Amino acid sequence: MVSLPIEERLAFQGSMLRLLAERSTEADVRRVMETDAGYDPDVWKALAEIGAVGLLVDPEYGGAGAGPLELELVMEAVGAALLCSPLLTSGVLAAGLLQALGDAEANARLLPGIADGSRIATAALTGSAGTWTPDGVAVRARADGEAWGLEGQASFVTHGQIADVLLVAAVEADGISVFEVDPTAGGVAVKPLPVFDHTLRLAQISFEAAPARLVGKQHAGWNAVEEALGLARVALAGEQAGGGRRVLEFTVDYAKNRIQFGRSIGSYQAIKHMAADLLVESESATSAARHAAAQLAAGAPDAKSAVELAAFACADAFVKICADAIQMHGGIAFTWNHPAHLYLRRARADAQLFGAPAFHRERYVAELEAAHG
Amino acid sequence: MANDAALPVTDDSLREEVRAWLAANWTGPLQSEAERKAWVAKVIEARWAVPRWPTEWMGRGLSDAQARVVEREFAAVGAPGTGQDRTNLWANTLLAGGTQALKEKLIVPLLRGDVGMCLLYSEPGAGSDLAGVRTRADRQGDHFVVNGQKVWTSYAAAADYGMLIARTDWDVPKHRGISFFFLPMEQPGVEVHPLRQITGESQFNEVFFTDAVCPAENLLGELGQGWGVLQTALAYERSAMGEGARGPRSGVSEGPGEPLIALAREAGVLSDPLIRQEIARVIALKKLNALNTARAKADLKQGTASALMSLGKLAMSRILHEEARVRTLILGAGSVLEGPDHPRAEDANFLTLNAYFTSIGGGTDQIQRNIIGERVLGLPKEPEVDRDIPFREVRTS
Ligand SMILES: Cc1cc2nc3c(=O)[nH]c(=O)nc-3n(C[C@H](O)[C@H](O)[C@H](O)COP(=O)(O)OP(=O)(O)OC[C@H]3O[C@@H](n4cnc5c(N)ncnc54)[C@H](O)[C@@H]3O)c2cc1C
Repeated sequence: MVSLPIEERLAFQGSMLRLLAERSTEADVRRVMETDAGYDPDVWKALAEIGAVGLLVDPEYGGAGAGPLELELVMEAVGAALLCSPLLTSGVLAAGLLQALGDAEANARLLPGIADGSRIATAALTGSAGTWTPDGVAVRARADGEAWGLEGQASFVTHGQIADVLLVAAVEADGISVFEVDPTAGGVAVKPLPVFDHTLRLAQISFEAAPARLVGKQHAGWNAVEEALGLARVALAGEQAGGGRRVLEFTVDYAKNRIQFGRSIGSYQAIKHMAADLLVESESATSAARHAAAQLAAGAPDAKSAVELAAFACADAFVKICADAIQMHGGIAFTWNHPAHLYLRRARADAQLFGAPAFHRERYVAELEAAHG
Repeated sequence: MANDAALPVTDDSLREEVRAWLAANWTGPLQSEAERKAWVAKVIEARWAVPRWPTEWMGRGLSDAQARVVEREFAAVGAPGTGQDRTNLWANTLLAGGTQALKEKLIVPLLRGDVGMCLLYSEPGAGSDLAGVRTRADRQGDHFVVNGQKVWTSYAAAADYGMLIARTDWDVPKHRGISFFFLPMEQPGVEVHPLRQITGESQFNEVFFTDAVCPAENLLGELGQGWGVLQTALAYERSAMGEGARGPRSGVSEGPGEPLIALAREAGVLSDPLIRQEIARVIALKKLNALNTARAKADLKQGTASALMSLGKLAMSRILHEEARVRTLILGAGSVLEGPDHPRAEDANFLTLNAYFTSIGGGTDQIQRNIIGERVLGLPKEPEVDRDIPFREVRTS
């Protein structure tokens, strides 16, 4: 995959950080997370304008044509700011899936709108088991002459309730294919799910003889899904690393300033050692996420195992940092008005999206086994 | 009325007496709050509620071992109401330090559960360092005038009284200038502002005092000796927190048996070896804590258990955090949901957050470890820079 020249990458990162500092403050996050849509359309436009939404999209279709390295950096900033948006959903998962499927007609029709933010696409890849594996797919496709119809249910569909386009993984005869579905079509019912992380939107989508269009080649579906999930996992790892770093920062800051027994609480080894351990977690998460991005960008032979490693290491690190941060703050972090729980909620959601840590550990070992015989 | 307490009671005669009384009075499960209240009143009247206490305060002056005979008999038929001499934080603290007048007024209502109570300890600047409280109580004739602020006060909104620590002397070192009061909450000088918790609930509050009035007879212990009274109260609180915490809040039970096993079965992952290992770990933590607690209590005299209670509380904190973690593991992706349609996720998430009630509230895990290290193991104390200087000169945030 491609990468931008380093100066462009840094300039891009700079504009992303500025945008988030101005438009995704804690107050913004709290306001937006209570809306139905779960994102701020103006900020979405601004994200598209600086090129973040179309980051991965080929320039031919109006995108920046960047790759995992840029994506990972952007997502670190997103995680730190707890941005509420369908960026990962539309710009990474759906765009990545379309590009992996390589259907020129569908790409020409869908990607420009995805890149400029005017169209939000999502991918429905798993059923209520939430495994993100081929056997977790609970939608079936039936050919009806030239046309296709879908039956069944997809769940944990990120931003399903605001999507204009659904890319649905469905089983037909002897394989999985991906279909494009219009969520407003007859036979499609989108039900928002209540999510513990209020900054995230998930939906359950039911299909009953829902009209669908095959995207890409028949049965080539799951390979493309895996490719898109690889990008999404790198993105998520970046978000986790960035989020964890931010939480550690404000926690260490608090430990320096909060005084008990006439001393700052950070002077107690109980707190100091927790902070030091969390720095190891946070640095490891950052390394894992950036390494995965670099290997994927380079098409390195160990790219898959690097992504698996990042997926569980970053997930566990983000959860641990948030959990310990609450303990290190004491009572103040048990309040709704303190940001620590917002990050913990995000961390718990991120740790499950696209596969839980135990699943990735298993796949990590399997990759290593396969690579080294 | 029960036996003449002057007569020596043997375990056997006691057991017979409890059994006979239960046989005559206990008629099976209590169906309503009203029935529960009526039952508890009956238990108090018959002097089974606080058998370790002296006879003048509804007790029988029994030894700890004998009181456990009573508790076992109650437990055998499933009747509640005894053992309040171990578990009723408010009544025990009042008995230990209250004036005659206050005890006469409140002991029985407290045992009956008729008085709403809260703990007015923590302040914005004084959490772990409780001796750093800045709420002041100044004597004026037959009462004290209270000014200042408390925070994280659980259940303050429904409380009739708060157990308050306030500074009554600013010129002595911090532990020596504190007094302990039962402050009436229903008065214009006390303002309660609910705080929203990370669970979304609002059980704890900020409490503001503006010339609030506290009768002098509501002082517990001597003036300036409140720190000692507080230690007794904290021991009862930590003991209770070591025995458990709020369970799942969805109200949808996992079914009979070990909740984690039932949950894993329901989720279809009970045969997963990884899940089985994790479940075993959590159930073992619970079991071992229960065994530790039972052994510690058997060895200890009532009220002397302060430091050992820290062990149980610390263990419980770990249990609660671990149980929530394993519930999350079992549910997998399903754990990201919430709300009444997703009771298992609701429980896993609530328990994840509410575990901090035990690991922060009642003195944090870190503070419990300090107490265990210093008071149980006898390790040297952490130097306290402000321990011996007049409170006026102490540094704060
Ligand atoms: C759900 C809940 C309910 C509560 N209910 C009540 C109530 O009803 N009444 C009441 O009075 N209070 C209540 N509290 C307050 C609770 O007792 C305090 O939050 C707790 O004692 C910690 O104080 P703090 O929040 O000020 O944290 P701090 O004392 O500021 O502690 C911050 C961090 O520093 C650490 N730390 C502090 N000192 C040391 C040290 N010497 N060595 C090592 N580490 C240290 C702590 O462990 C913690 O990690 C409640 C708290 C919670 C969370």
